[in-house]
Amino acid sequence: MSAKQTFAEVFEARGVNRRDFLKFFGLTSVSLGLSPSLFPKVVRAMETKPRTPVIWMHGLECTCCSESFIRSAHPITKDIILNMISLDYDEVLSAAAGHQLEEVRKQIMKDYKGKYILAVEGNAATKDDGVYCMSAGDSFLNKLQETAADAAAIIAWGSCASFGCVQNADPNPTGAAPVSEVVSGKPIINVPGCPPIAEVMTGVITHVHTFGEIPELDRLGRPKAFYGTRIHDKCYRRPFFDAGMFVENFDEDSASKGWCLYKMGCKGPTTYNSCSKIEWNEKTSFPIGSGHPCIGCSEPNFWDNGPFYTRMAEVPFLGTDSNADTIGKIAVGAAAAGAAAHAVGTIIKQKVTPSKQEEKES
Amino acid sequence: MGLIIEEIYVWRWPVRIYHWLNAICITLLFITGLYIASPILSPPIGEAVWYKNMAWWRYIHFGTAFVFIANFLFRLYWALFGNDPYARFGGFQPWKASWWGTSFKEQMASYLFLRRDEPHHIGHNPVAAMAHFVFIFLGSWFMILTGLAMYGENNPGGFIDSMFGWVMLFFGSSHIMHNMHHVMAWIFPFYLVIHLYAVTRHDVVDRTSVTSSIITGYKHKVEESPM
Repeated sequence: MSAKQTFAEVFEARGVNRRDFLKFFGLTSVSLGLSPSLFPKVVRAMETKPRTPVIWMHGLECTCCSESFIRSAHPITKDIILNMISLDYDEVLSAAAGHQLEEVRKQIMKDYKGKYILAVEGNAATKDDGVYCMSAGDSFLNKLQETAADAAAIIAWGSCASFGCVQNADPNPTGAAPVSEVVSGKPIINVPGCPPIAEVMTGVITHVHTFGEIPELDRLGRPKAFYGTRIHDKCYRRPFFDAGMFVENFDEDSASKGWCLYKMGCKGPTTYNSCSKIEWNEKTSFPIGSGHPCIGCSEPNFWDNGPFYTRMAEVPFLGTDSNADTIGKIAVGAAAAGAAAHAVGTIIKQKVTPSKQEEKES
Repeated sequence: MGLIIEEIYVWRWPVRIYHWLNAICITLLFITGLYIASPILSPPIGEAVWYKNMAWWRYIHFGTAFVFIANFLFRLYWALFGNDPYARFGGFQPWKASWWGTSFKEQMASYLFLRRDEPHHIGHNPVAAMAHFVFIFLGSWFMILTGLAMYGENNPGGFIDSMFGWVMLFFGSSHIMHNMHHVMAWIFPFYLVIHLYAVTRHDVVDRTSVTSSIITGYKHKVEESPM
């Protein structure tokens, strides 16, 4: 196998001039939240380091992460983004198929043992030996564990690989489990979202390549640079929230005026992502910007967190789907009824029990 | 009517202050909390920047929460170090089998109408102590920890977030934590109903002036008057 080209060489071969090259990495450093002083370091890494080999695997998923990834819209065209990383294995994009393709994966695992990045899109079916997700005669679960063993780090693309997403929503018939539950002992970067934002995806890869280490992660294993704050706290509709101006119905004037979507079930207040900062598709818009409440797609178990269009999410409680207030009112009502019944009991007891005076007399 | 034969100073001022401050805080927290979850007032007319209608509800909720926490810690201090036999944790030892013995059983039997007479306790009876522990002590801890974890979300990486943000991991996501905070808030009105009933009932049945004792601090021993 030939030695990997550097990013700069790839850019040059593609006819990208120096100016655009610097512009791209200037923007990338900014989106990573790096200080300007680190910009030369980013550029230097891109000029001197060989491209990081990446094995990109697809499990139970819908390929929306790949779809998002190819739309990364910084000044550089999307095919250059695809060539930046040395994408050596990807079931979806490969010309080769079947055993030919599997041989490539084995070869990369051998040649770059401990050096390659394993990017996982989708998650693994664990029930019945993983038969619900098979390719090349083996279960995805086995292939994932086998490839992860020699990886430098794992990037879990999307909510599927990070947290499970729709596949492991209740009742989870295939036993779908996120990467972190089936792989251990390797650094895992969770990049949730359904799909994640394109620039977040390329940003994470740039960070890993530039510094040779995984970015700073939060408690749920997500890069802090992109998942550090809630959508709500950076939302341009926040003034309407603070003022108490809420959309009550999509047909109302308030909806077209762009008031806060809190009462329409917006999950912005509990969702950590960069949608309200980076936005989507060349900063065209993001869900709230287009008048739709956030559905919290980058949060764990978001499919099981109740309906998308109601504020009060339902709480699964003793097998029923009741909301918090219903449960509370029933409990308080039961307490009142219990107290009333006990009061009646006390009165009866008082009547039935002879007083001490009567006892003495008898 | 009974004759007062003895006055006992039971609830000292730290206990009484805690009780009423707690009552006020819980009321405010519950009302503002429900409002934050479903803001029902009509929107103001004009530009959003002129108003802080929703922000005020949150502000009061957070402000009250810190008073509630300070008050709770004050009572905790009093329970641990206060020289007050009726407010100390000392006698509360539910991990011992003996604590669940005669005294607890007698009180339980009385509540279940299995005994004729009412057992007498000067401070909390064992059943009441257990109920306070479960609903007020554990309930407050739950609300304080989840509440601070959520408050920390306003400033990720800040002091409160780094101290209490880990609480979220027990719930899996911020959303579920919000929901559990909401559901668990209902234990307070639930407990209030039982608490008010139990106090009224004791006042009527034992006539120890338990209701007024939380204002004056004094409970009374009453003897049944001759017919």
